[in-house]
Amino acid sequence: MSETYRIILCDGTACINSGARKLSALLRAQLEQHGLTDRVTIGLSGCLGMCDKGPIVVVNPGYTIYGRVTENDIPEIVAEHLVHGRPIARLAIQEDHLYNRFFRVFGDETFFGRQMRITLRNCGIIDPESIDDYLSLRGYEALAKAITEMTPAEVVAEIEKSGLRGRGGAGFPTGLKWKFAAAQQTTPKYVICNADEGDPGAFMDRSAIEGDPHTIVEGMLIGGYAIGAEKGIVYIRAEYPLAIQRIQKAIDDARAHGLLGDHILGSDFSFDMEIRLGAGAFVCGEETALIHSIEGARGMPRPRPPYPSVSGLFDQPTLINNVETWANVPVIILDGADWFRTVGTETSAGTKVFALAGKVVNTGLIEVPMGTTLRQIIYDIGGGIPHGKTFKAVQTGGPSGGCLPEPYLDTPIDYESLAKAGSIMGSGGMIVIDEDSCMVDIAKFFLEFTQNESCGKCTPCREGTKRMLEILTRITEGKGQPGDIEKLERLSNMIRKSSLCGLGQSAPNPVLSTIKNFRVEYEEHIHEKRCRAKACSSLVVYEITETCVGCGACRKVCPVGAISGSAKNKHVVDQDKCIRCGMCFNTCKFDAIAKV
Amino acid sequence: MPSPLELIKKKRAEAVSRIIGKGYLSTKRVYVGMATCEIAAGSKDVMEVFQKAVSRGLTDVYLSQKGCAGRCNLEPTVEVIEQGKNPVKYGKVDKERAVQIIERHLKNGEVIKEWVID
Repeated sequence: MSETYRIILCDGTACINSGARKLSALLRAQLEQHGLTDRVTIGLSGCLGMCDKGPIVVVNPGYTIYGRVTENDIPEIVAEHLVHGRPIARLAIQEDHLYNRFFRVFGDETFFGRQMRITLRNCGIIDPESIDDYLSLRGYEALAKAITEMTPAEVVAEIEKSGLRGRGGAGFPTGLKWKFAAAQQTTPKYVICNADEGDPGAFMDRSAIEGDPHTIVEGMLIGGYAIGAEKGIVYIRAEYPLAIQRIQKAIDDARAHGLLGDHILGSDFSFDMEIRLGAGAFVCGEETALIHSIEGARGMPRPRPPYPSVSGLFDQPTLINNVETWANVPVIILDGADWFRTVGTETSAGTKVFALAGKVVNTGLIEVPMGTTLRQIIYDIGGGIPHGKTFKAVQTGGPSGGCLPEPYLDTPIDYESLAKAGSIMGSGGMIVIDEDSCMVDIAKFFLEFTQNESCGKCTPCREGTKRMLEILTRITEGKGQPGDIEKLERLSNMIRKSSLCGLGQSAPNPVLSTIKNFRVEYEEHIHEKRCRAKACSSLVVYEITETCVGCGACRKVCPVGAISGSAKNKHVVDQDKCIRCGMCFNTCKFDAIAKV
Repeated sequence: MPSPLELIKKKRAEAVSRIIGKGYLSTKRVYVGMATCEIAAGSKDVMEVFQKAVSRGLTDVYLSQKGCAGRCNLEPTVEVIEQGKNPVKYGKVDKERAVQIIERHLKNGEVIKEWVID
């Protein structure tokens, strides 16, 4: 008997409260006693969503789940299961939920154990191009359940009860949106999936569609049934060819199986879908601009109300939700709104997917329950900051979000807490920034993006972001003037209040949040002409240190001949000639060139 | 007339039997990550190595693709799921590693620890 076991203890709050941590100590002692420490390892997971049955102990291989484990049960689990390989039926519980069901095959639980997968439940598990794979995992059962057992009004009520909020970023209650669209008497009605993902560094929607396209199709079908629509449109960027190919295949396969088209599954409900490609304009992620784009008009927003639920595509009632929002729908229908509400926080139910990127050890796509703190994401799942560098800030919400420094790391992830901290939830971009990045430069980067993507319809956004970018550029070039910070703040507030759509209203956020949290860096740039992160090239001075061996490599690459020195002697940089291109710094093999 | 719920359960049973027909009950199941990011990191080449091995007679292996596994910095990823054993996920798999995984793990049952993500 040399089986290697991996035991996973649920370390969620509910399990801890019911005594999980005591079990852990006891388990270790028992393993020691039986001499099993070599072939049994113990890991912790985040909440597994089985709170009512806690504490939970999972034994792998075999994925045996033991529920309501008490201290008295531990010796039995060790003696029977781990020593003799006989799982204990009395303690084992059966779970047939959609969420997290593949926890057992993730392996890799240092990364996945802290996550809870609802929308990404099949992503990275099934063959996304096989409808059989999806069907075999209770695929389209939520749709069938809705059609068979629920009236459209009951579906809407279930979504409303779940507390699901729009995952595109703004967090509008999804059920309310559905209710408004369902209440409209005008037909035809439309259902749209907003897959126009545009935040720099964000790839949640792409991965979700590429990994499990049928979930989106099923979610939209349920939406169509709920509001009385017969037509669905997936609006997706042309720059996501694989995602397009896979969702198209999903639509074709679903149609071939009678899951799209007339009289779905023999019922009176008919629904079909098509894909519309976006050309990659950021503003088309805004729902009214997106609708204009589908209509063939220029992708520009219009004032709301009327909201699309009342008057949307071709002036008809339109239900438009983000990819991740749709992916939640089948789970809510099958696992129930009551269960869904237990995940996350009071105001923000469920989970959120993040694209974790930047200066963090484990970059990746993660899904965590709402209420998880930024610190847990960055350090427990992300593995902290690489190369022994210091954490400086985390940027959430992409170009519409903000940068939060160290004191905000214990902020729980939910719509309200992030907004209160000065950032936003956004669609799920999360970029970790270390000491090597300049916060003024970061703000400039995001503003450059929004300024480029401004559609130009309203003046505050078009002209205001342009002026702000000019000011930021001159600050990073060492030409900042006293009063620039105040000017930026004034412009920001004006743009926020008077822009037509979310793009303009949120464009100043990266600037405002960096001014609020890193004002001193702005001041250093303006008054001392100094960039502490040494990231703003115009403000860096290159100097050659005593380590120089006089190899001459830097002298040869310098494009302006600013470096002089004889062979085997220390070289020097002529600061008047130096254009701060950094070629010498990148060339030196002896680390003899310092940025000061 | 069966209800939609009955129909979908029938469809599910049919889907399951088709998957089993493709060899799902093999002792080892191998999943190669094939999202855009994985492909960019070279997973198509890796997939080819496994496909060739299967077409050249590697038996008792069910080969499938999968979507994004979320492990950006360790892609391409390959997962080996074996009946009665803990799942193994390999990271940064290139053609050479794929060959080794076939020879050492799939044929000889050796888990190549240094490439395992844990």
